[in-house]
Amino acid sequence: MRGTSHPSAADVDQEIPGRALIWLICAFLLLLLPQWDRLPLWLPTICVVLAGWRWLVHLGRIRLPGRWLRTGFMIAMIAVYLTTVSGRFTVDTAASFFVIAIGLKWIETRSSRDFYVLFFILVYLAAVNFLFEQGILWTLVNFTGVMFLLVGLQILNAPNAPGALRAGWRRLLSMFVKTLPIVILLFLFFPRLSPLWSVPLVSGAAKTGISDTMTPGDISNLAQSSERAFRVAFGGEVPPPQDRYWRGLVLDRLDGNTWTQSQPEPFRRLGRVMNDGGAGELGVRDYDVLMDPTGQSWAFALKGSVAASDNVRQVGEGLFLFQRPADTPVRYRLSLQGDTPAADDLQASDLRQYLQLPAGGNPRARVLAKELKVSSLDARSFIDSVLRKFRSEAYYYTLRPPQMMGDSIDQLLFDAKRGFCAHYAGATTFLLRVAGIPARIVVGYQGGEPGAGGEYLIVRQYDAHAWVEAWLPGQGWVRVDPTAAIAPSRIDGGLREAVAEEGSFLENSWGSPQRYSDIPLVQWASLQLDRMNYQWQRWVVGYQGQTQMDLLSRLPGQWGLKELGYFSAGLVAFGVLVGAVVSALRQRARFRQDPVARLVGQWRQAARRSGVDIQEGDTPLQIAERVAVVSPAAAGPARTFARALYNHYYVATEQEAGQAGRNDLDRLRRLLKTARKQMKVVRPSARKT
Amino acid sequence: MGWLFAALLIVMLLTGINYQNSLIFLLTFFLGVVFVAAMHQTHSNLSGLELTLIHAGEGYVGDSIPFLFRGSAGKHDNLALTVGVEGASQGSRLVMQHVRPESSSDMRLVVTATERGYLLLDRVRIETRFPFGLLRAWSWLRPQTTAIVYPKPLLPPVPVDHGVSGDESGIVTQAPGQDHVEIRPWRQGDLLQRVQWKRFARTGEMAIAEWHGEQGNPDWLDFASFPGVDTELRLSYLTALVLERDKSGEAFGLRLPGQDVEPDGGPAHTQRCLRVLALFGTNGRNSDREAA
Repeated sequence: MRGTSHPSAADVDQEIPGRALIWLICAFLLLLLPQWDRLPLWLPTICVVLAGWRWLVHLGRIRLPGRWLRTGFMIAMIAVYLTTVSGRFTVDTAASFFVIAIGLKWIETRSSRDFYVLFFILVYLAAVNFLFEQGILWTLVNFTGVMFLLVGLQILNAPNAPGALRAGWRRLLSMFVKTLPIVILLFLFFPRLSPLWSVPLVSGAAKTGISDTMTPGDISNLAQSSERAFRVAFGGEVPPPQDRYWRGLVLDRLDGNTWTQSQPEPFRRLGRVMNDGGAGELGVRDYDVLMDPTGQSWAFALKGSVAASDNVRQVGEGLFLFQRPADTPVRYRLSLQGDTPAADDLQASDLRQYLQLPAGGNPRARVLAKELKVSSLDARSFIDSVLRKFRSEAYYYTLRPPQMMGDSIDQLLFDAKRGFCAHYAGATTFLLRVAGIPARIVVGYQGGEPGAGGEYLIVRQYDAHAWVEAWLPGQGWVRVDPTAAIAPSRIDGGLREAVAEEGSFLENSWGSPQRYSDIPLVQWASLQLDRMNYQWQRWVVGYQGQTQMDLLSRLPGQWGLKELGYFSAGLVAFGVLVGAVVSALRQRARFRQDPVARLVGQWRQAARRSGVDIQEGDTPLQIAERVAVVSPAAAGPARTFARALYNHYYVATEQEAGQAGRNDLDRLRRLLKTARKQMKVVRPSARKT
Repeated sequence: MGWLFAALLIVMLLTGINYQNSLIFLLTFFLGVVFVAAMHQTHSNLSGLELTLIHAGEGYVGDSIPFLFRGSAGKHDNLALTVGVEGASQGSRLVMQHVRPESSSDMRLVVTATERGYLLLDRVRIETRFPFGLLRAWSWLRPQTTAIVYPKPLLPPVPVDHGVSGDESGIVTQAPGQDHVEIRPWRQGDLLQRVQWKRFARTGEMAIAEWHGEQGNPDWLDFASFPGVDTELRLSYLTALVLERDKSGEAFGLRLPGQDVEPDGGPAHTQRCLRVLALFGTNGRNSDREAA
């Protein structure tokens, strides 16, 4: 621990024992797993090859690469890396570089110093893994990896100890159990400071989820994914399926076949991470959303919600945004306030925005809208007649729509008559706008199935949905969902029921448990795992500043960050103190068994106090000599005492112990008294010299 | 290593704070607490150990002198112990040894001798880095048993006359314990210093005086027979000669200023002579210490 330059004991340049190396390699492979689907495939593959190379070197099959080859490797890998990164700097790319560095380190790992370097960077890799994966299973994988590392270190430090492996695991586990309470307390009470700086975590790589543009067909791709989008827990009653419209963003500009946002979000400075929505009691109207990372900054909300946690804020059109793209799971809280009173009227600029149409295209649809408008009294009846048309005529809701090129709305309405929600929402908005009714497309999710225990709803990617909102004078924005007219089962029973006949539900996702959800066991297991992860996410991963404050506010007393800091420091001090007291008690017990040792301690202390420089490890006679140097007058008694000590320890046999030992002790006490008295006499002069 | 590890933990804590990542917090706290627990582990890995120097070896200057230590464990394991000597002057090689509970095991510490005489280990440092190598626990031992380092054997470049004082009087000096002398002609193989040069001056014939005693044909190795040579070098020459005699099985005596070793043969005698050579001129304090 002390940084002196003594001949260090474990020779740092020794060969790494294979039994330690194998644990290190295993830990590396384990810690690479969470990175596997994040990194381009070549990268982890090369890392595995390089680690395997190091193992073969240990077996003596091949040699470590020479300097030139190693440099070549390094340059090649960095070059490939730079081309894939192409100038973006995020934590994501930095983490990839980190993995490359670890891979390259394997082929220059020779001594046990390198072993420590690898140990340190692999521990950090475990931390980096947590940035990207926080599920309970990945947590277990990471912690197991760290355990492997610690076992490897023990073997490195005692390679030929008998039973090192079993003893190592036992030692580690007992350490784990003994220290667990402190870890938990620290976890609970360590002040969760707010982040210090903000670096984007991921490089905007395409994640599954809705995007801010929509061409017909986009959402039907999403319908092939059973990945979770978010989970919602309601404080009060769970709204019925037909009210579960999770609004994400509004697309109001049609450009050819593509719908986009007419007012893209203004660029804002990247905010710091705030992924905690607090843990206070959920009010009757409140609901908590635990959203999986989307890489986007929009939040999903039911209509008529207001923000109840400070990591989301409401923007126009009843939408919510985060401070920064959600690159980690985010929990936020909203409160249902019912429909806001309708605004008086749309402003001219809004009218222009929500009536925007391309100059030409889709002539047949325009004609249809005009015909319908003539036969309608007002906007409401126009909408009804559009929906009636969808309901009564042979329109189909399908995941396998035909290709529609050119005037896609015309083709959908008059030729194909087969489409997905995005097609119908687009066509409906088009018709409404031609008829002069302000309309917009809303993209988000619709539905959600209850999780295990019914505590929360799970909304998955295949619940992605697009619908229409139309402006009705006096009523404000009103939801119009053409899909509900064509396939009511999509709204009430979800996508699975809606496409049951077609059999296209998750047809390309063989591995998804949702595909087999008609098998009760699969369904049960999948939901239980989800519940476990939910609780994990909710209480462990999501335990951040706001949650901490909410929890601690239930404890008596005022808890601020400062108090928490003091408490944690006190906790650490307490832990160290307990350890120290235990050691001291053990030491005391040893002294109690040996009163003479205590005398020696007193003697040393007295000598030190009178200015004698005593080093650790000095023997009694050496101390006596040092005393003699400082104060010749005290030399005699000191030597006598030292000799008496030797006699006590080395001459007396066990038979002589007992009564004789008692006398011995008394005699030593008397001698010590004399020796100390002598030293006291010389003390002033000792100070002067 | 401990400082590096602490630095790593701080970096991890910063990462955890900045990305509000509870799991990084958890990992950091876990490792931090393991670190503190390792302090106790490392300490208790050394505590209860009794280390004794049970044998100090002998050897020549420049050789590696072995010191045999015995470690006896108390109630728990004392694993991965290393023993070393402080100070650059006594370069030491390190050993690693495990001592199981309630048993003992021997460790050899090898020290390179740089000068003849008593070799007292300065401060022996016993340390352990078990279990993780991040922390070190150590203790000191000042063994009082010394090793004995003989002078480095060096063969004298030319055989030097060693009977000078005897020849000056013209009478062949009679060594104590020798009965009579026989004068015989020089023959191939006789050392030049055994030639009776006075007699040669008188008679022109090279003759050798051969002493006959109970020990047969004793040969005195004399400190005084290398005039003008440095004391240490003389001792080295004598050491080489002692070893030569020992090899050939001849009996010999050793004469140092103020100290004679009677002619004798056998390994015990050789060792005695070597010791005398090793300790020649060293003050009594060292031997005092040896006694202690």
